[in-house]
Amino acid sequence: MIQCKTSKEIGGMGHSMKRKEDDRFVHGKGNYVDDVKLPGMLYMDIVRSPYAYAKIKNIDSSEALKIPGVLAVVTGKDLEQYNLHWMPTLMSDTQMVLPVDTVMYQSQEVAAIIATEKYIARDAREAVRVEYEVMKPVVNPFKANDEDAPVLRTDKEDQKDNHIWHWEVGQKEETEKIFNDAEVVVKEQMHIPRIHVSSIETCGCVADYDKVDNHLTMYMTTQAPHAIRTVIALVAGHVGLTEEKVRVISPDIGGGFGGKVPVYPGYVIAIAASFLIGKPVKWIEDRSENLQADSFARDYHITAEMAGTKDGKILATRMKVLADHGYTDASANPSKFPTGMFSIGTGSYDYSHAFMEADAVYTNKPPGGVAYRCSFRVTEAVHAIERITDRYALEIGKDPAELRFQNFIKKDQFPYQSPTGWEYDSGDYEAGLKLALKTVEYDKLREKQAQMRKEGKLMGIGLSTFTEIVGAGPSKDFDILGIKMFDSAEIRVHPTGKAIARFGTKSQGQGHETTYAQIIAEELGIPAKDIQIEEGDTDTAPYGLGTYASRSTPTAGAAAAIAARKLRDKARKLAAHLLEVSEDDLEWEPGKFSVKGAPEKSKTIQELVFAAYTNHPQGMEAGFEATHYYDPPNLTFPSGAYICVVEIDPETFEIDVKRFVAIDDAGNIINPMVAQGQVHGGLTQGIAPAMYEELIYDDDGNILNGTLMDYLVPTAVESPNWETGHTVTPSPHHPIGAKGIGESPTVGAPPAIANAIVDALKPYGITHLDIPITPAKIFEALKEKGVLDKPIVG
Amino acid sequence: MEATITKNFTLEEPIEKVWAGLSDPMRISGCVPGASITEKMDETNYKGEVTLKFGPIKSKYDGVITIEKMDNENYDMTLKGKGLDSKGKGSAEMTMNGDAKASGDGTEIDFQMVVNIQGTLAQFGSRLINDVSDQLMNQFVDNFKALLAGEEFNNELKAGSMMGSVLKSKVSGLFKKKEEENS
Repeated sequence: MIQCKTSKEIGGMGHSMKRKEDDRFVHGKGNYVDDVKLPGMLYMDIVRSPYAYAKIKNIDSSEALKIPGVLAVVTGKDLEQYNLHWMPTLMSDTQMVLPVDTVMYQSQEVAAIIATEKYIARDAREAVRVEYEVMKPVVNPFKANDEDAPVLRTDKEDQKDNHIWHWEVGQKEETEKIFNDAEVVVKEQMHIPRIHVSSIETCGCVADYDKVDNHLTMYMTTQAPHAIRTVIALVAGHVGLTEEKVRVISPDIGGGFGGKVPVYPGYVIAIAASFLIGKPVKWIEDRSENLQADSFARDYHITAEMAGTKDGKILATRMKVLADHGYTDASANPSKFPTGMFSIGTGSYDYSHAFMEADAVYTNKPPGGVAYRCSFRVTEAVHAIERITDRYALEIGKDPAELRFQNFIKKDQFPYQSPTGWEYDSGDYEAGLKLALKTVEYDKLREKQAQMRKEGKLMGIGLSTFTEIVGAGPSKDFDILGIKMFDSAEIRVHPTGKAIARFGTKSQGQGHETTYAQIIAEELGIPAKDIQIEEGDTDTAPYGLGTYASRSTPTAGAAAAIAARKLRDKARKLAAHLLEVSEDDLEWEPGKFSVKGAPEKSKTIQELVFAAYTNHPQGMEAGFEATHYYDPPNLTFPSGAYICVVEIDPETFEIDVKRFVAIDDAGNIINPMVAQGQVHGGLTQGIAPAMYEELIYDDDGNILNGTLMDYLVPTAVESPNWETGHTVTPSPHHPIGAKGIGESPTVGAPPAIANAIVDALKPYGITHLDIPITPAKIFEALKEKGVLDKPIVG
Repeated sequence: MEATITKNFTLEEPIEKVWAGLSDPMRISGCVPGASITEKMDETNYKGEVTLKFGPIKSKYDGVITIEKMDNENYDMTLKGKGLDSKGKGSAEMTMNGDAKASGDGTEIDFQMVVNIQGTLAQFGSRLINDVSDQLMNQFVDNFKALLAGEEFNNELKAGSMMGSVLKSKVSGLFKKKEEENS
């Protein structure tokens, strides 16, 4: 299915080339931010609030300052003098850097200690005495706008309650009419839990301000270095840190998943401290700080409804969201999309009407709402549509696979206009599901299930046939803080035919150093191994919006292909000059131009590049370089068909994932091995919220699982054997037909698992369970149905 | 995070003697594991400190204990304690209600303790608070019996054994059902 146009030596698209960056990583030669050590470097640690909502009555630093090695204790009042005590969020809300008078969530930054040693700074945390007046917090988002709820954002003049915004899309009246007249209406209330990306590397930075040059070099864990540089200039330009005076370097990153997109207070405090002291300041979060204070993901309460006919035709859907944003709206979304791409929630099905609405509220929890391996709220939307589709199938007694085939958008309907306004680029949903059903031997499985049910065993089969929306995005609609969401590539080929290419994106483990090189190899015929890829240094890389939301291949990958094509055009001119023929008489095959009909007369790409520096024709610009800023004409729409088979222990209710088949369609694939690695990682992060992960808060706003001792991040131990495969439906508008793969599995897996578990419990009248579905939750649900009076087995 | 612990126990001592011990803050506080009264502010308010250990977290609370109710006729009392972690990591509040009544030759005591903890201890101790509190209560009862019997006792927090005994009670709880089924 995957055909390679280039030789293995060139290693273009489709080759399972080993990752170039892995040599560095397996030899322990990665260079992460904590590896950065500068002369005279100081260390920062942060005093955090034990309370979710409290007035700060006093901060007494005197004991801390007596500790030898402690140089400063920075408070909000200190920063206020420079107007650096607050910062804008990505959604144009405001966020405290350090509080002046009130803390808004547990583990919020309260003061920062600057010391000569890391452990001195840590010890000094306990010596800073903070006097609080504890207040009753708003924890439950459903009660955030109750009359007796305190208004949390008293710092915002017009804010009279805890409501942030209302959003809606679709055809409200028509949809309501369809629901009123429909033969069948199903409805479920679901929670997509608050979770955390928990990347292996926590966040951190080294802020290095040079007083003499008035220049800041910021080494930091960021997925979007250029955007960060612009934000720093916007926030600190008034103290002299204008954009040309700021260099952001994002070194190797140990996982980002969206959690390294926002600007956290720690970064800003480190900059302020370095600016004031004139020395480099390092700040590295510990694991608990990362889990408790950094941006969460998800936390959508969704009421999902589907209307249809008795024989299984979907007619309309309705979704109503309550979004718990915590203390401020610091979601990572494109500006015009407060709910991100949630409106993809009409799914892979062909029907004409939908209505969606959302309201966001403030609560006393950490801010966030990052796109955790997910293109801006797609996981939430896909969970809702795939769960409610299964609910509908259950209601009318139809097989969920059959129901999906009946309603799929057909291959020849693309480009397809969705009821919420998207234009799906391409897809073949039937092919994906057919392959998944065949792989899992669906009919046999259903027979086995019937047999097992007779024996009182709990076995379930769950499907998820999702459509993703990635590659943000076209400049007419997509920007972050006003900056359009294009991305860029710059290719420089040296006289000897080896190249360096730089990008506005930033790999956090995705394998860009390999896959970008393969795209360029595909287009230019220079072996991928000869192409060095560099990202993350704003002084050298072209401007771009960074890597998240599966956007690197759709945007920067496209930019690389087009820049390479510009160079190929130049190579053609050089070949015509050297071979003394017209350009039209030349034929390209990967790696060389030859004269039509005289294949012995040819020039390799390396010879042509050399000529660009040594023998270029008069009137042609010397050198062999090209840059492209790619503004995508549309988003890309990867899809997948996932099937999960579970067995549940009838005594302990432990869930055993017996099979998991994932058929992805990400369009053309650059490197099948890298793509498969992405799918494996993404699926593991898909079982996480489905079965294990949720950040839990008590009524006082205390986080009850703020360490990895209590918050289970699945590893290889919890992972089942993933059975992966793919169909290939190229994107018609992407230069190499690729769509993006990184987040599909995280998005598609949770509903497949939830649907399987609910299917296993179907004989006992259970129609829905909120994720994470734990043995305890199953026990409670069965108890409520009164089926635990006697053992399930027997 | 709130936990409610109730305890009912009978002492082979006359009610007057039991109540005399129970209603004297200076004496009773000596029976609370890890607690001590450092200063009597007035008849109903006392300054004190309590050390608690939940799993990996040890917290020392400085606070004030207030006698909210002391009904010597009906043998009913309510104490309220409020404390701040000495390292600024959080706070704790406790309301304790004690009620004694004569039962044959002895005295039956009903205790109800509502503990509300905020901050680091609430994060780490949430799964253990009921078990640890239960252990503390048992230790308190033993100390109180010793006090009335005039025996020597030590009210130091049995920190080292605390985790062990909680684990033991949790684990034995798990196996209890099986044993019952088997017997």
